Amino acid sequence: MTEMEELTEELSGLLENNAGELKKQWVKEMTEMRLLEKLTPVEIEQQSSAIYDTCVMTIKTGMYEAAKKYAREMAKKGVLEAMTVDQIIMGMLKLRDVYGRFIFSKYKDDVEKLYKVLGIYEPIANRILNIVALAFVEERERVIKEQQQAMLALSTPVLQIRDQILVLPLIGTIDSARAAQIVEQLLNSIVDTQASVVIIDITGVPVIDTSVANHLIKTIQAAKMLGADTLITGISPANAQTLVTLGVDLSMMTTRGTLRSGVKLADEMLKPVVVEKR
Amino acid sequence: MEIPILKIEEFLIVSFQTELSDQEITKLTEEMLEKIKKTNAKGLIIDITALRIIDSFMARCLSSIADMATLLGARTVVVGMQPAVALTLVELGLRIKWKIQTALNLERGIALLRTVMRSEKDSVYE
Amino acid sequence: MSEDTLAVKNEYDIIKVRGFGRNLAARLGFGVVNQCRITTAISELARNIVVHGGGGFVTIKTIENDRLGIEIICRDEGPGIEDLELALQGGYSTVGGLGIGLSGARRLMDEFEIDSIRGKGTTVIIRKWL
Repeated sequence: MTEMEELTEELSGLLENNAGELKKQWVKEMTEMRLLEKLTPVEIEQQSSAIYDTCVMTIKTGMYEAAKKYAREMAKKGVLEAMTVDQIIMGMLKLRDVYGRFIFSKYKDDVEKLYKVLGIYEPIANRILNIVALAFVEERERVIKEQQQAMLALSTPVLQIRDQILVLPLIGTIDSARAAQIVEQLLNSIVDTQASVVIIDITGVPVIDTSVANHLIKTIQAAKMLGADTLITGISPANAQTLVTLGVDLSMMTTRGTLRSGVKLADEMLKPVVVEKR
Repeated sequence: MEIPILKIEEFLIVSFQTELSDQEITKLTEEMLEKIKKTNAKGLIIDITALRIIDSFMARCLSSIADMATLLGARTVVVGMQPAVALTLVELGLRIKWKIQTALNLERGIALLRTVMRSEKDSVYE
Repeated sequence: MSEDTLAVKNEYDIIKVRGFGRNLAARLGFGVVNQCRITTAISELARNIVVHGGGGFVTIKTIENDRLGIEIICRDEGPGIEDLELALQGGYSTVGGLGIGLSGARRLMDEFEIDSIRGKGTTVIIRKWL
């Protein structure tokens, strides 16, 4: 075994053997900094243990991937849910302090060895704490993103105004992500309601850019694939200019000035075809 | 995999299951064409409700089937395409090459076929 | 972190490899439409391997940046592609030709890399991020 490996083993052994005391110290300091206010005593005990043990295990094994995976799973299960991102990061830094001071107290009489151990400890500790803190933060962000998506879905109501006609009133500025989500929602609605005609009204959209225009074309084409026709209504003079300037394939679009005239056209389209007998 | 070809009035209906191998598609195509001839069917309805993916190969197959059926006097319509598949086909760039009639469901598919058949009959007399 | 390499020699392998791709994509959390895009892209490239490459391998793996993603590497040791530019524009219009496959896969995915040496083979790498 190399000296580094020996020292690493010694260090992780120390941290394991003194786990009880160090954990208590860590929790005490976090409490003093009011980081654990929202957690119950049981949660504090369980969750601090889980994280402490993960860190020591990673110092011992050097398996950062496993630590990352484990931290993610913990985050998903709701560990530290009650803490803010701020508190989580402070908490991890506190753990680093607690470890650091412990190492110092253990090796203070052997300065050379102290430096060696710190030399091993610091990069490892930084990496682990980074991974763990990041896992929780990322999970947090993922949940927020999901909620945003859900809200977006709610704010894009597809209305069924007749047995076979859907109306999608678009309002506001639409970014690429929202546009993609709208396309998906609309296509799903077509199949769910078995609508034959979809009217997309863009009266409430002040600005159409290339991205939105392309999504519109995609929607029209995909709806046609499914077996439904699309009408675009409410194009403003400004947007009309944009669309032509962008070189959008206008042969793809059937348009009407107002939603009302769009509905009228849709009704016409759905009338059964009268075949003349010759 | 045994895929049944059903007859409803003057139409034939086939349901494509996902993950058909090339061999299975070839065999099925032959069976469909045989049956069109035998029953003098005027229309072929291919139900793709269960197809979670249509790649360019499958798209070509469907196109060929439609062309061959036409030569035998039957029009083809594809029904029940999944939204994700429709979007992917458009993004693949196949929209322009896609010449097959599509309908949302069986009922509309039949109505579409009848409309096409009627207009063809009328145009013969012009 | 998952990684699987499958040999692709015939049409059944295409189906197998698609299934793998869809499974991983679903597990990673890709939505239904993206699962369809990924699976279709894999199908196009795998078919190229079988039809034009004389067989080859497909590797499907998880990748990570600041988010998770899926990466698919398609390798064959076939004749290589004569005119890459043309192929990427969907320009090979021979029957059953390379046409849509390459350009289609590129359109469906976030990242697309291709390396083709005449007489040596072709490697295509595609990626999509969550």
